[in-house]
Amino acid sequence: MKAPDFSYFEAQNIEDAIKYKSEDDEAIILAGGQSLLPALNMRLSSPSCLIDISKINNLNEIKVEGDFINIGALATHSDVMNNDLIHERLPCLVDILKMVAHAAIRNKGTHGGSIAYGDPAAELPAFAVAMNAEIILNGLAGQRIVDAKDFYLGLFETDLKSDEILTAIRYPLLGHNQHLIFDEVCRRHGDYAMAGLMARVELEQSQIKNLDLVYFATGDKPNIAQNTAKLVINDGYDYERLKKSLASEIDFAGDLNSSSEMKLHLATILINKILNKLER
Amino acid sequence: MSAKNSVNISFSVNGENFDDVTVPTRQHLADYLRSQGLTGTHLGCEQGACGACTIELDGVAVRSCLVLASQANGSSITTVEGFDDEIMEKVKNNFLKHNAFQCGFCSPGMLMTTKEIISSKKKLSRDEIRAEISGNYCRCTGYQSIVDAIEESINEIN
Repeated sequence: MKAPDFSYFEAQNIEDAIKYKSEDDEAIILAGGQSLLPALNMRLSSPSCLIDISKINNLNEIKVEGDFINIGALATHSDVMNNDLIHERLPCLVDILKMVAHAAIRNKGTHGGSIAYGDPAAELPAFAVAMNAEIILNGLAGQRIVDAKDFYLGLFETDLKSDEILTAIRYPLLGHNQHLIFDEVCRRHGDYAMAGLMARVELEQSQIKNLDLVYFATGDKPNIAQNTAKLVINDGYDYERLKKSLASEIDFAGDLNSSSEMKLHLATILINKILNKLER
Repeated sequence: MSAKNSVNISFSVNGENFDDVTVPTRQHLADYLRSQGLTGTHLGCEQGACGACTIELDGVAVRSCLVLASQANGSSITTVEGFDDEIMEKVKNNFLKHNAFQCGFCSPGMLMTTKEIISSKKKLSRDEIRAEISGNYCRCTGYQSIVDAIEESINEIN
């Protein structure tokens, strides 16, 4: 349970970090390290070098820009949870982060790190997809903006190029008819979910007009259930029907906590839980 | 711009300065602290699950198994050995009074987490205390008395 050997480079600015990363394919960016360090300690990862970006200034700012709220990559989960702007403009994120690990890990783990790591069982990648967030990437050629739904390609695989670093996430602010409702099932508080759901709901006269369902801890990346969402809008909750629909559009992958059949069941009942929360 | 397999760093632990010490890049902070005789910081799982290695880094509780020693450059660290102020004396006395340990392995982490709870100045219910210490495992399952000790500490201090 000790990390393998690697070299270490403390970047003082984004340009240095980008340059260094572009020259070494096997190097990995270290931000808070709360997912990366366990992976290293368990020898699931063996990078040539860790490029520590945690000392770079101004990458942890949280600010409102037009109709977006912009969270700097290095803002820790605790920074986000304690931020007044987030409480006012994106309060659902505070409740979601309460489900992310434990206080001592939230004190160190970063928003951008979790988004970039792309753990399919983590809350934030699914949240970013459900919110139609924009991922801001800086590389040798300058800045690039990718929609969160296009950012996740597969298991721990993202659209991040070898010379790029994730510097911020931009969330469109929710209108007064729009809600982000989430729920998850886990064995103990702070554990990874057995299955979880982020639902972005747009209401019109108390009826669901638009619905996006994005699952986490179900497959290889945040899973969007487009057809199932349409069924919910048209016909409401029907367990057997929605279960069949989910089975046809998501490739459920079992893990140590729950089989693929269990995840399919949980994914189905999570829709009911979300609808019940919406009524309250 | 060069990367190396060891780095020289400076930081302070419990008020004592460690200047320009050489650490292997792969060494986590808990292993470094323990190598310096500060064995109050315990290592259980080394993957961030058990909480035994919790320390205070620049004023906030962190898992020292999930921080590289090299990342602590320029930081101020408090470990359980640095619990010498009036408030933490009261906390320690309450842990003793309620017998809030059996084997004692989780105690350093529990005490560090309690320090963060006390410094938040919040009045917490027993359920909220349980949620706050949910990241610290006690494999003797002595949670009842640990919650008793933390509850009395909050009532006494905050």
